[in-house]
Amino acid sequence: MKANRFEDLPEEEQEWIDAWLGDTIDETSFAALQDRMLDRPELRKIVRRSLALHHDLQAKADGSADATAEPWLENEATPTNVVALPTTATSRFFPIAIAAGVAFLLGLALMHFGGRSGAVEQSAKPVVDEPAVEPSANGFAVIENLVDAKWALGETERRRGDSLGDEIFRLRSGVAEIQFFSGATMVIQGPAEIALESAWEASCRDGLVRMRVPPAARGFKLNGPDTEIIDLGTEFGFEVRGGKAHVEVIDGEISMRHRNADERIVEKGAAWKLPRDGVAARVKAGQVAFPDMGSFDLETQTRQRKDFERWQIHSKAFARDRRVIAYYTFDRAKPTAVIASLAEPRSSEFDGAVVLAETAAGRWPGMKQALEFRRPGSRVRVRIPGEFEAFTFAVWVRIDSLDRRYNALFMGDGYETGEPHWQIRDDGKLMLSVMVDHTRPNPKMPEDAGFHRVYYSPSIWDKSMSGQWMHLVSVFDPERRQVSHYVNGERVSRAEIAADYFIRTLRIGNGEIGNWGQPFRETPWFAIRNLNGRIDELAILNAALTDAEIRELHEHSQFGRR
Amino acid sequence: MSRMSDFEKNDPHEDARYEAFVKLFAHHEAGLRRFVGSFLPSWGDVDEVVQRAAIAIWRKFDQFDQDTNFMKWACVVTRFEALAYRRKMARDRLVFRDDVLDLMAEEAGAELDGRNAQHEALESCLLAMPEKQRKFVMLAYTPGVNVKELAEEAGSTAAAFYMRLRRIRRQVMKCVEEKTLPSPEAG
Repeated sequence: MKANRFEDLPEEEQEWIDAWLGDTIDETSFAALQDRMLDRPELRKIVRRSLALHHDLQAKADGSADATAEPWLENEATPTNVVALPTTATSRFFPIAIAAGVAFLLGLALMHFGGRSGAVEQSAKPVVDEPAVEPSANGFAVIENLVDAKWALGETERRRGDSLGDEIFRLRSGVAEIQFFSGATMVIQGPAEIALESAWEASCRDGLVRMRVPPAARGFKLNGPDTEIIDLGTEFGFEVRGGKAHVEVIDGEISMRHRNADERIVEKGAAWKLPRDGVAARVKAGQVAFPDMGSFDLETQTRQRKDFERWQIHSKAFARDRRVIAYYTFDRAKPTAVIASLAEPRSSEFDGAVVLAETAAGRWPGMKQALEFRRPGSRVRVRIPGEFEAFTFAVWVRIDSLDRRYNALFMGDGYETGEPHWQIRDDGKLMLSVMVDHTRPNPKMPEDAGFHRVYYSPSIWDKSMSGQWMHLVSVFDPERRQVSHYVNGERVSRAEIAADYFIRTLRIGNGEIGNWGQPFRETPWFAIRNLNGRIDELAILNAALTDAEIRELHEHSQFGRR
Repeated sequence: MSRMSDFEKNDPHEDARYEAFVKLFAHHEAGLRRFVGSFLPSWGDVDEVVQRAAIAIWRKFDQFDQDTNFMKWACVVTRFEALAYRRKMARDRLVFRDDVLDLMAEEAGAELDGRNAQHEALESCLLAMPEKQRKFVMLAYTPGVNVKELAEEAGSTAAAFYMRLRRIRRQVMKCVEEKTLPSPEAG
């Protein structure tokens, strides 16, 4: 019987056609195939059909890749900004945009292979696990501002940007501004003790507060020792001292119930005293100075300016530290400029080229710039030649969300022997790894990219921390054979480098800030690992900084504390 | 088509002739590519042959009887261009030798309608596929993608990747054949 369909052909011929289409046919088989084609019209017909299908698929894939790539292409108009990749000709001329489209598809393809990428990680056993900075997973408020805030002994020192959940907030002195996720704002003057109950409710046990409730948060409930206040919009002050309360409506109106009395609407300009064991009584307004937002803002600005100036001094000194290999602060005179490395002696060789990343406000808005890596192709390309004995990576980062499985902080391009990968996994764990030997298969995963190990921190980020600036440091220390992670100056984990995974000579070469450019040197596409967030300072040191040094580094470069 | 416009066109008769050619060629270009694509494996070669054929067709356009089938005539011209190109080409290990190529091109000319039907069938077959498979095929066929490297990147082997691609392509082929060939029972 003559074959009509591909599947009717002898397996051998099917194989030949597939190999021919896949460019893997050997000369003998190709000659045999052609001999048979000469004799068999039905075979020729099936070959034509197969080839036509092959071309149709090519044409379709071509179109789909372009469609995905298009939004990227229009932003690639300034090739001078792009450092040419010293790899193969293919990757040099293969537009990043096309690669991006491919990368998207690659992600899908990876799923077919069990979801493993080049970075297959086994968790290293931590030697010391100190989850000092455990984020609150169910926070409903955040510290917006702190001015001269002091905390009682034994009380957690709060920082601006800390998220707050169901807890008692105690302030010894100074002023704190808390933003509830309902939209309500509470300015607290210490000493104060406030029980935070939800985004919609808090109890003032002691202290002086000013509530501001926008329309969206109408209905916010503030409880005093014997009083319930429902804010019906805008602003009121509330004081509790020694169990005695006092309320004053600054703007709008509130609904108030004191002890067993009926609910009462209190309007703008009215003040009431609320005794523990008596009835509420109207008093003259204006007797209590509630913490004022306006002067608070001014004070905040002054404080920020001071912090910023202090950081500037620190930054200049830090750049002169001979252990600093590369140091980027992302401040640029114009948006087309390179990102200069400030490490002394200055060398333009370490300058970073910005691709697609956008200038945004840094941790001191209006004073310091950052780069935002929100768009999938965003990156800063750098080249850091040399051999190193240890790595300390330090960054000030504002993570908006962890969109990718792996979100890049700093990544060596090729991930070849001695090269680092510093990133955050989507579960909030900080990851540092150095390729131990890229030519040696991973024993657990023989098909993996190479022999390496990833050192994880506990989870240091969750959604409640979105948009907050934080200081992250990771240290790869071959001499002491340990890898440590730090958040805001505090060590959160330390793990031992096992003998098998020991590597003495470290390198970087080509690398990227905020993304992963070149998963493998020969590969003209990349896995998208852009960090959805901002970076406004990044330093790489050829040294393993100590706990004390990292605490100090954070201290000198932090903002908005006190 | 810019190289066509270089020819002298000041004669109004020539203008009309040129217009007729452009109209016909534009209408049939995709079909012509599909025709060449059923016997030349490289997309670049297909482009090159169709370009050369366009010039040859224009040069011989005088000989074309406008009451006959343009596509049939164009396929004959193109077939000779393909053979001429084949001889000029450095020995490409994937291109059929002359005798096979000539037979293939000759027979392909008679299959043009079937080729278009096949193209349409592919569209519906791809749509009917599980999305993962479709994306995989599209990825594997994306220009510039090297299957071996792609497989390595995916932590697999080229062989596994290639097996998968082949399996899916065979499924697509089966689907296309079911839609375009008379069913065995009917025959």
